[in-house]
Amino acid sequence: MNGKRENRIEKIVSDLLRGRRLKLRGGDAEEKEAIVTAARLAGARQGLQRMHPAFRKRLADVLENTPREGWVTRRAALVAGLGLAAGAAGGVLLGRSGRPEPAAAQTIEPADPLWVDVGALSDFPEGEGRRVVAGGVSAYVFRKGDTVSAVSSICSHLPCELSWDGGNGNLVCPCHPARFTPAGKPAVHYGLADLSTVHAEVKAGRVLVLGTK
Amino acid sequence: MTPEEPANEPAEVVQLPVAPRATDIALDELELVYAFIYARVGNRPDAEDLTQQVAMKAIPRLRQGAPASAIRGYLFATARSVLGAFWSTRLGLSEAELREDLALATPPPSTPSEDRTETVQQILGKLSDNYRRVLELRFLHGYSLKEVATEMHSTVGAIKVMQLRALRAAAKLGDPE
Repeated sequence: MNGKRENRIEKIVSDLLRGRRLKLRGGDAEEKEAIVTAARLAGARQGLQRMHPAFRKRLADVLENTPREGWVTRRAALVAGLGLAAGAAGGVLLGRSGRPEPAAAQTIEPADPLWVDVGALSDFPEGEGRRVVAGGVSAYVFRKGDTVSAVSSICSHLPCELSWDGGNGNLVCPCHPARFTPAGKPAVHYGLADLSTVHAEVKAGRVLVLGTK
Repeated sequence: MTPEEPANEPAEVVQLPVAPRATDIALDELELVYAFIYARVGNRPDAEDLTQQVAMKAIPRLRQGAPASAIRGYLFATARSVLGAFWSTRLGLSEAELREDLALATPPPSTPSEDRTETVQQILGKLSDNYRRVLELRFLHGYSLKEVATEMHSTVGAIKVMQLRALRAAAKLGDPE
């Protein structure tokens, strides 16, 4: 610690008593015991501290909205019967890498597949998402000319049913601020997994979706 | 089967991996962690940053729906690790060196609502009169250095030196746990 140590310690104590952060320098290590003791005395002077309400709210947002870490793989989740939650497993924890990695899309392959007729192609307006149910699979179908594509209607982060927002051309999760494009890509900036895609095709003017009985 | 209008569809209710109750439990436990950390860093900005670090590290565990008792143990273990990293970064020392010197591995208090002011008073009570007085006036009563000097009929320079020596002496008396 350069200069008079008592001056440096007084600066640290003064900052602590004003509620400021501990701003230490390398040379302060020589007085580490005194500094740590000063921090503890400052921490004790007002008794047990509780979180400020604004910080508690911020923390609640972090807990509820942080994308899930890859601690469960999608495959492991499916095996464990957590199919709905599995879509979220590709997300990464914010703060670990700072920039979430994009998650690859998965395609739903039903164990006991059945092509289900969900309506005439003419029932599906171009540029509009239409929700259909094909047995145990629910999906949003999008028409492009004479072809169709489909994505799961379940959010990849929280297992909630998406709704179609025609104004923005997005699928919207009612459970948290998550939006997806008709291709199933996240339309928000944090690390959501893509929506699962669903097999869909047009045959003889009818739209078929691969679902279950 | 025909396409369905989303507007007519009732919302499907599915049990979430992180139910509101789990979040509430986590926040209540994090309140204790915050108090634990605040008592060691002595200021709100650092305490909030470190508590948030603990929460982020613990999110996967919190989402497994573990009971509060298991969550608490994990959170405090994480808090000690985060605190060790905080001090080692700020002081430029290895965590091992800090842990050895400063007893950072000390387990959390079994009764988080303990009156820490009283505990600190016990530590201060072991100091010589002048050392105790300067720390009491500065930390417990919030006096400025000049006010302490006036109160103790001394000079600001002398009080500064006494404050440093008193802190060193208090540190030698042990962890104020």
